Amino acid sequence: MAFYEVYSHPALIRYKTSVCTRATLFLAAVLCLTYIPPLLVAYRSQGFWIKRSTYEEQPVVRFQYQTLLVAATSTQGDFVAWSTFPHLNNMLGPKLRIPAVSVREEDQNQDGKLDMLVLQLQLPLKPEEQVFSVQLLLTFSYQLFRMSTVAMQSLAYVQHSSSVPGAKLSVSGDLRLQQRTPLPHRGLYDIYNVSVIDGSSPFASSYDLDSIIRSYQSRNLTTVLSCPMPVWTVGRAAASPFELNAEIRYPVEVISYRPGFWETIKFAWIQYVSILLVFLWVFERIQRFVFQNQVLTTVPIPLGKPHLS
Amino acid sequence: MAASAAASCSLLNIFSLFLAYFLFSSVTTNENTTTGDFNTTQFGENVTYNFTDYYTTTQPTVFESATPTHPSHSSTVEPALPAEPLPVSGRTLTPVTNVDRLCPCDDHNDVCDINCCCDRECSEEVALFTSCSVPAVSGSSQLCSYDVAYYSLKTAIDGYSELQASVQKETKYDAFCIHSQNRVDGLSHPSPALPTGSNFESLFKQFTGFLFGSETSAQVAPTDLPASAGYQLGDVIVTAGESGQRGVFRLPAPGVTADCVNSPAAFLKDQSSRCSRRVVLDRDCSSPSALNMDTYTRIQLFGRKDEGAAAVPVEVVSVTLQSNTGTQTELKIPGGQSLRPVLLSPTLCGNVVLKVVYVIKYGPAGQIVNATVSLVLGFVREAMLPLEQHFRVMYVQDGGGETAVQHSGNPGYVVGLPLVSGTRTTEGIVRSINLRDTLSVLRSSEDQDCLQGPHQRSPVLFGLDTESGCTLRMDDAANCTLVSQVLLDVLRGPNYPQVVASFGNSPLDNPLDWVQIKSNYNPGEAGSCSIPLSLHLEIEWTKYGTLVNPQAGIVSIREVIQTNTSSWAVLSRGSNVLPIRTSVAFIPVSAAALPGYRAMPTFNARLPFDFFSPFV
Repeated sequence: MAFYEVYSHPALIRYKTSVCTRATLFLAAVLCLTYIPPLLVAYRSQGFWIKRSTYEEQPVVRFQYQTLLVAATSTQGDFVAWSTFPHLNNMLGPKLRIPAVSVREEDQNQDGKLDMLVLQLQLPLKPEEQVFSVQLLLTFSYQLFRMSTVAMQSLAYVQHSSSVPGAKLSVSGDLRLQQRTPLPHRGLYDIYNVSVIDGSSPFASSYDLDSIIRSYQSRNLTTVLSCPMPVWTVGRAAASPFELNAEIRYPVEVISYRPGFWETIKFAWIQYVSILLVFLWVFERIQRFVFQNQVLTTVPIPLGKPHLS
Repeated sequence: MAASAAASCSLLNIFSLFLAYFLFSSVTTNENTTTGDFNTTQFGENVTYNFTDYYTTTQPTVFESATPTHPSHSSTVEPALPAEPLPVSGRTLTPVTNVDRLCPCDDHNDVCDINCCCDRECSEEVALFTSCSVPAVSGSSQLCSYDVAYYSLKTAIDGYSELQASVQKETKYDAFCIHSQNRVDGLSHPSPALPTGSNFESLFKQFTGFLFGSETSAQVAPTDLPASAGYQLGDVIVTAGESGQRGVFRLPAPGVTADCVNSPAAFLKDQSSRCSRRVVLDRDCSSPSALNMDTYTRIQLFGRKDEGAAAVPVEVVSVTLQSNTGTQTELKIPGGQSLRPVLLSPTLCGNVVLKVVYVIKYGPAGQIVNATVSLVLGFVREAMLPLEQHFRVMYVQDGGGETAVQHSGNPGYVVGLPLVSGTRTTEGIVRSINLRDTLSVLRSSEDQDCLQGPHQRSPVLFGLDTESGCTLRMDDAANCTLVSQVLLDVLRGPNYPQVVASFGNSPLDNPLDWVQIKSNYNPGEAGSCSIPLSLHLEIEWTKYGTLVNPQAGIVSIREVIQTNTSSWAVLSRGSNVLPIRTSVAFIPVSAAALPGYRAMPTFNARLPFDFFSPFV
């Protein structure tokens, strides 16, 4: 007749002692060693409090239909320029050359957010003029909504120059977000929702590219046109205009932000508890060994024994 | 906005349909399956139709079912109009939803479009096709069952292409497909609101964000001004033309490039600009142009912004003629006359405006009291083109003294402002009012020769370390004692100061506030002559005061002059020229702030003196 285990249950044994004993001291030490070291281990192994986290979002970008174009038309430094700012155009006088511009913004995946800007610009030139360099500045309205609501006005700057006169410049790139410090995790962040170029100003200093770019680059949050491969096509016919084709995509951005209180606590809690479990198991075994073998004198109260006191 | 609303609507709709699919799957499905209703006679005998139901994994081109097409292809049904539409806006078309009727490549009316297999005019030309530009037209793939019109070409025995067109019902065995679509607008664009006379403005506001032509040059109408409006900071200054028309006082400044553009001058904003002019000498020299001094002097400024203000003429204070070598002589011009540019030779133009300085005196009510201009005229050769012109406007308070003493900080020095320096006399310390006459260093010139004057100098600006230099040719250094003295004068500059103010606003009558410039240079050394090779200014400064508002002060200043200790040949290492350097270094010597320990707070409670009055 073979026996088999038909049922089992753990038996609870209580160990009692008075307050001023070595067992009490041992218990206090064990409690301290169980709960405090995991905190130190989690903290010293770095990354206990998360300072920076990231999320993905496609921004809501709109072209603001503000443009500034400067094209050098000779190697001596003659130039023609055009902008959408009437004050600047008035100041330019004979240097003003109005191009034909066509702009289209596309939502390719039908998600309600625009994905791409297609800008085609044809700059008419006189027969004696050639284009050696182009500077183009476009402004955008840039918005993020997922964590903190970001509303800002940003710009894209295209600059290309060549020693050979060109017929066409073709730019295809991404409008990338650049952050110096992480964004807050909530709230409205609209300190940069101001015009990059003050179009209402009649003074020439407002349209100085140097100061525009300098004040723009001092911001924490900027966009840059990342176009590693602009294509400069040479061989323009005398009567044909200079063409500038730009395709600017608005990609999904990885945005870093400072996590809020509860997110920080949540990740710290996960780390703490996972290390604590190991310590709990170890010290449970130690305690069992100490009390079962009566290393420290206690009064064991076995199961089923009625109350003595 | 409208598109995103449509997207969210469709998502909601899908979700509700998905719920309905699971909860009420016993409800009768009202699937409106449109089977292919081709007019088979139109395509000729080459067309084969196979209405088989087979399941394919190819992804056909998805067309939103609300694509409006040409009116000739669709039956136009007038929707119920809530208001009378605007006459030009017409009405919206009924969308075409049947996939067999949608043909996006059919661009030409009554003409066959090449490689457009769904074009119904291509019954005979289909033999010339090589591929189908639109191989499939599909309905919404979110439905569990949807129609796809396929177009493909097959090569016949004779080598020509044959069209195979079919409309198939695709079935999707996906847990998240839409089984029954009871809300049609969930998967299609909502019909747009028709513009009417009443809602046009709101529709315009809703759908237009940014657009070309939104920037308008807002000109301030003179009627908007208060009765006696003075100028305010940053206002443009109004000028009176010859015949009384109002203009704007313009001061040329570099525009988007370094070229001069006629930018308005802003009231109370001191401005100094250098810009280049592209001129053709024989054309622009004699004509009234930017080179003519009349352009800058025949101006009348309105004293105030309003209409009735008196015009203040710009008065010519001085006209200086600059020769080709840079020497300047003041010209005496009888009142009212002016010097016109003259073409002296085809490549030389005289009496050209090189520099214009306006000084405008303003009163406390924002009115212009007085305006003066001083000019520098000169000669322009062909080689000097494009010509650089220098324009400056300064605003001076009326009655506030002609020249206010300028400080370089209050009290601590401000980074970027020139050091304040002076000389010790028997009466005390003397300094020039002009901050340009201060401790300065040599500015590098184009000919690089130390002994060729005149040298331009730039002031030592607080906090900016600089370095510049010139070269000394060996054959010039024959007379050592003379060269040594000349070089020292070149390096130190004229009226070399003895003391430097330790703060930006150090008063002259407090000699303890001024720091002596220490020097290691001893000219009266032994008989051997030594040539100074470099001048180095070491300025030690520290921060005073609180951490929040520190004040920078100069602690000590030292002049280090290196002289040659060896012979010429060793110095120049065979080369004929010897570089002479000047440099300035600012050395911060401020000690780092220490953490301070706070005193323990003391308990300073005291009971009122009569608290125990009945007992004591």
